[in-house]
Amino acid sequence: MSLDSNIANKNEEFKPLIVAFCCNWCSYAGADLAGTSRLKYPANVKIIRVPCSCRVNLNFVLRAFQHGADGVVIAGCHPGDCHYSTGNYHTRRRFSLITNLTEYIGIEKERFKVDWISAAEGNKFATVMNDILEDVYKLGPNKKLRDARWKI
Amino acid sequence: MENITKKIRAIAKQALINKDVDKILGWKKGDLWSESYPAFITKAEEADTLIWDLFCINNLSKFLIKELQKHDKIGIFIKGCDSTSFNQLLKDHRINRDDVVLYGIPCEGMVNPEKIKKIMLNDRVTGIKKSENGFTLTSKNKTKDVSGEEIKYDKCITCISPNPVVYDELLGDEVKNKEREEERFKGVEEIEAMTPDERYEFWKGEFQRCIRCNACRDICPACSCVKCVFENQNAEISGKAKTEDEDSFFHIVRAYHVAGRCVDCGECARVCPAGIPLDLLNRKIIKDINEVYGEFNAGFDSITPAPLVTFKLEDTDTFSKQGGK
Repeated sequence: MSLDSNIANKNEEFKPLIVAFCCNWCSYAGADLAGTSRLKYPANVKIIRVPCSCRVNLNFVLRAFQHGADGVVIAGCHPGDCHYSTGNYHTRRRFSLITNLTEYIGIEKERFKVDWISAAEGNKFATVMNDILEDVYKLGPNKKLRDARWKI
Repeated sequence: MENITKKIRAIAKQALINKDVDKILGWKKGDLWSESYPAFITKAEEADTLIWDLFCINNLSKFLIKELQKHDKIGIFIKGCDSTSFNQLLKDHRINRDDVVLYGIPCEGMVNPEKIKKIMLNDRVTGIKKSENGFTLTSKNKTKDVSGEEIKYDKCITCISPNPVVYDELLGDEVKNKEREEERFKGVEEIEAMTPDERYEFWKGEFQRCIRCNACRDICPACSCVKCVFENQNAEISGKAKTEDEDSFFHIVRAYHVAGRCVDCGECARVCPAGIPLDLLNRKIIKDINEVYGEFNAGFDSITPAPLVTFKLEDTDTFSKQGGK
């Protein structure tokens, strides 16, 4: 993940960095559709492709926050549509707990989102990304959980 | 207490003489009057060192993993929280039920020596006795009556399983000690009421005291992986430098790794040399599981699958705008 964009903009206006973990079969294709349909969504979103939304674990999320992310999105297929039949049912249970846990630790809940985006929902992809960017922009840069050795 | 000590000694002696078991896990008196240590005995004559008093707080169940590699059959004395831990180890396939003989002991809660020290700060307490409605502390020239709540461990006051849930033989009568059970999540609710920034400051203050001794992990009956993720030198999550972010990373991930399997025995918070209230993290997860996926008490039996290894099609969630609580 390149952080050069943040370093270059050190003295300029705050540009949030959003890390989006997208499931290969739905949300990544949704992002693709958003692109091919010429929908506008922010360039600050860094997409990381994962085989299934249940591949994402808590370590990934915390690592993203430690190393510069201002917001994290997990996107997967709608429950029932998982390519691997049951993966996103597990995602739903896990991230229900993780959402509450990160909030309990002190991360604002606007910074961490889980959503279901299918391959046909290019529009929804753009909306979700625009929404979180707006929320994070209002909150300002994330200073919590940062790695002390990581400097902007 | 004395009756149970006698029973413990008789049972241990008999079992070792008859060769029913190869080893007995129990407690013996420690160096101080306010300490009881885990004791492993293999000879019948050692049985008289075993005791049962107000300080037998150690959870013996986790020792079974290592001891069963050396012995075929082990007898173990267990309290309520030890028995839920035992069920959890069974569920995780760490031990075999047939290799263990369980002697259950109903427990009315253990006494926290730290609390006693605070109450009689300037007097050296030399003993404690049970009185009619509480305890009597004695020092060289003074006695003081205190209530049970003042000196018991917090986790014992809100205990949900004072009686063993699994045993082969029960010593003593079952106790009723569940009246303050509903206050179990009080600490969690206090933190939930804070603002995100206050919560972060609170946890930052707690986590930065961590010395990464891993005691919380080593004592935990749910943390029974052969190789822990935090022992992986290449994962860059347990470096030699002490950094704030790795400390919080460790504690958040540790709490999440035992999600749905934590029996809420509170040992992690007790053994922490820095006094970090780790049970508040575990209890938050337990509270969420109870609220979102229905009441679940890990370790109450060894069959029901843990909430995070199963799912229902109609599950709710906590992140979408429509559903969840």
